[in-house]
Amino acid sequence: MQQARADATSDAIGDLKQQIEALDQKVKVLERQKELDTEAAETKAKDTPKISVGNNGLSAASADGNFVFQLHGLVQVDNRTFFNDRDNHNQSIVGNDTFLLRRARPIFSGTLYKDFDYMFVPDFGGSSVQIFDAYVNYRYSPWLQVRAGKFKVPVGLEQLQSDPYTSFNERGLPTALMPNRDIGFQLWGDIGNGRLSYAAGVFNGVGDGRNTSNADFEDHREFAGRIFAQPFRGTSVTPLQNLGFGLAGSWGNVSSSATGLASAYLTDGQQQFFAYTNGVVANGTHWRLSPQGYYYWGPFGLLGEYVISDQEVTKGAVSADLQNTAWQVAAGWVLTGEDASYTGVTPKHPFDPRANHWGALQLVARYADLNIDDQAFPVFANPATSASEAKAWAVGLNWYLNKNIRANVSYSHTSFGGKINSAAATVTRQPEEVVFTRLQLAF
Amino acid sequence: MKAFLKSFVLLLAVAIAASAPAKEIKLLNVSYDPTRELYQDINAAFAKQWKDKTGDTIIVQQSHSGSGKQARAVIDGLEADVVTLALAYDIDAIADKSGQVAKDWQKRLPENSTPYTSTIVFLVRKGNPKGIKDWDDLIKPKVSVVTPNPKSSGGARWNYLAAWGYALKKNNNSEAKAKEFVTKLFENVKIMDTGARGATTTFAQRGIGDVLIAWENEAFLSLKDDPDKFEIVTPSISILAEPPVAWVDKVVKRHGTEEVAKAYLEFLYTPEGQEIAAKNFYRPRSQEVAQKYADKFPKITLFTVDELFGGWQKAQKVHFSDNGTFDQIQADNR
Repeated sequence: MQQARADATSDAIGDLKQQIEALDQKVKVLERQKELDTEAAETKAKDTPKISVGNNGLSAASADGNFVFQLHGLVQVDNRTFFNDRDNHNQSIVGNDTFLLRRARPIFSGTLYKDFDYMFVPDFGGSSVQIFDAYVNYRYSPWLQVRAGKFKVPVGLEQLQSDPYTSFNERGLPTALMPNRDIGFQLWGDIGNGRLSYAAGVFNGVGDGRNTSNADFEDHREFAGRIFAQPFRGTSVTPLQNLGFGLAGSWGNVSSSATGLASAYLTDGQQQFFAYTNGVVANGTHWRLSPQGYYYWGPFGLLGEYVISDQEVTKGAVSADLQNTAWQVAAGWVLTGEDASYTGVTPKHPFDPRANHWGALQLVARYADLNIDDQAFPVFANPATSASEAKAWAVGLNWYLNKNIRANVSYSHTSFGGKINSAAATVTRQPEEVVFTRLQLAF
Repeated sequence: MKAFLKSFVLLLAVAIAASAPAKEIKLLNVSYDPTRELYQDINAAFAKQWKDKTGDTIIVQQSHSGSGKQARAVIDGLEADVVTLALAYDIDAIADKSGQVAKDWQKRLPENSTPYTSTIVFLVRKGNPKGIKDWDDLIKPKVSVVTPNPKSSGGARWNYLAAWGYALKKNNNSEAKAKEFVTKLFENVKIMDTGARGATTTFAQRGIGDVLIAWENEAFLSLKDDPDKFEIVTPSISILAEPPVAWVDKVVKRHGTEEVAKAYLEFLYTPEGQEIAAKNFYRPRSQEVAQKYADKFPKITLFTVDELFGGWQKAQKVHFSDNGTFDQIQADNR
């Protein structure tokens, strides 16, 4: 009897053990299934397109990153106030004190099929809508890329700096001798993680300081190239990591075309201080050469460039090879201690008065000089109205409220050299003194 | 000014020379789940050999997941320089659907581009408490079987076909009997991972199931890690698993890695490569190396996919395509 009871108990224990083992397996299976479901959900999340909105604008990307659309924007609202600009002869006011919408650009950019980048930038600032950038870029690898369309010609250092990051409202005098945006294509790339950058392109060719009018009116092309080294980039030599220097240039041939000479030659206040006389045409080789460099270390920044623009010109039966030159040095110091860079300043503490955060403050100064070839006078330019030299110095204060909003104030003084004695020389008879302010939104 | 310009150009030239990057070649090997350890060893040995030969540094990056999943990733644009997958069908799919691999890829390297083989065995818990000896034991009631999902895992497709082939041979090639057998087998499968390594985790680390149907190399690896926990049971008959390799033509041309990628795969056939394969529990193709490691791999009757299923294309279509036999079995078991 006792044996039978013991056997029954043993059987019951055995059954219970089996049930417990079966339940244990079920629990383990459920737990593992949950793990696998989590893994599957994570994998699926990786396949879901990503949309982000932040201080870099709006971005939508396919899960694999092969297709990207980005929307950025740039709005610059300026004020220019000229001082001592009443012309001595006729007492008229030379500089227009004005508020202006300097730039208002939606910026569309992105990637197609992983390797094709694009950018489209119209500008609604100014008196008419213009397309500033419209190009496609094929990226075989970082060191081998091809860009075709309308974009900045790779010559001027400050010209190539993005508009939101320039130290002053207007770029310095050397930019007046550089090509701006043109239509063409270029081979370019960054080698060694950006330690060396190169660009070589073929363009329609534009005059000094000019944008293309979206078509060319003569046959010849212009070749432009630039090589820029940052040998210590990414190395442990911290003080020299952001040292960069390079050489850029362009070469083209212009045949009897006025288009090569309708140059702006603008002061900081955007007034023309030099112009060729009627009948002068570009006729022959036009080349530029520009050594350039910058240095940034901590809050300190320094940017400098020199440019020679050599143009053969003709007026009637007279020809000349004119060599205009310009240079500038611009320096800055971020008073609040943030790092200065070619691509702007990011405040450590974005503006938030409730938290006693005020953004970043940068002091900037610049000296620039543009010299017109003496041979230009008097046949090709009128010495009574056009200056043979412009010398400009400027100081300013840039307040970076956050990564997207910046407010500037600066003062610029430009004096003119030459034999200006005509009543018509309204701009150049007295130095230009102008105070700029700007409120900028860039994202 | 001229002197300044000359100095500037000289300085720039020096900077350009200093900016030249050291020669370092990267390869991406997209492989299936259980080859992690094998290719860690292969990569180290090949990198050393290449460095000695050319002075260049080779960095081979590895990517592992279910073989079918990996093939899909390459088709969708994963920039694999070489693929080392579980079965030829997956590389065929890359060749057919993306054109990244030449259609004749299997003829470019010896042994149909399969430098090593394996087979399918059972991993059971120490002492073999359920008394599993052969395939028939897997369909018994209360035997819990672990195998990954054939839809995503190459290893799982080998498992499935091994079971199907066993049933065919046992039942005078009756497809109906084979289907009935495999249906019963999958009734005993309570959970399916996407890849073979995941299934090993389920069985070995999570303690689920009585038997893991596994790659032989994967089973040996588990045994090596935990000899006190597991045993390997070799079935009476199994399948000859032939995991192939290929360089991805369009990618290597784009990356400039064609020479290295070919050399990398050819290295698998060298005595050193074959030794590494054998040490990682893959059956070497080299007779010499196979003899050296003969006692490591049990003798087993093996059939091939070509013999019983008419090749991978047909096997894939009949068994693993949408509404194929596997889908029907799964529907029956729900």
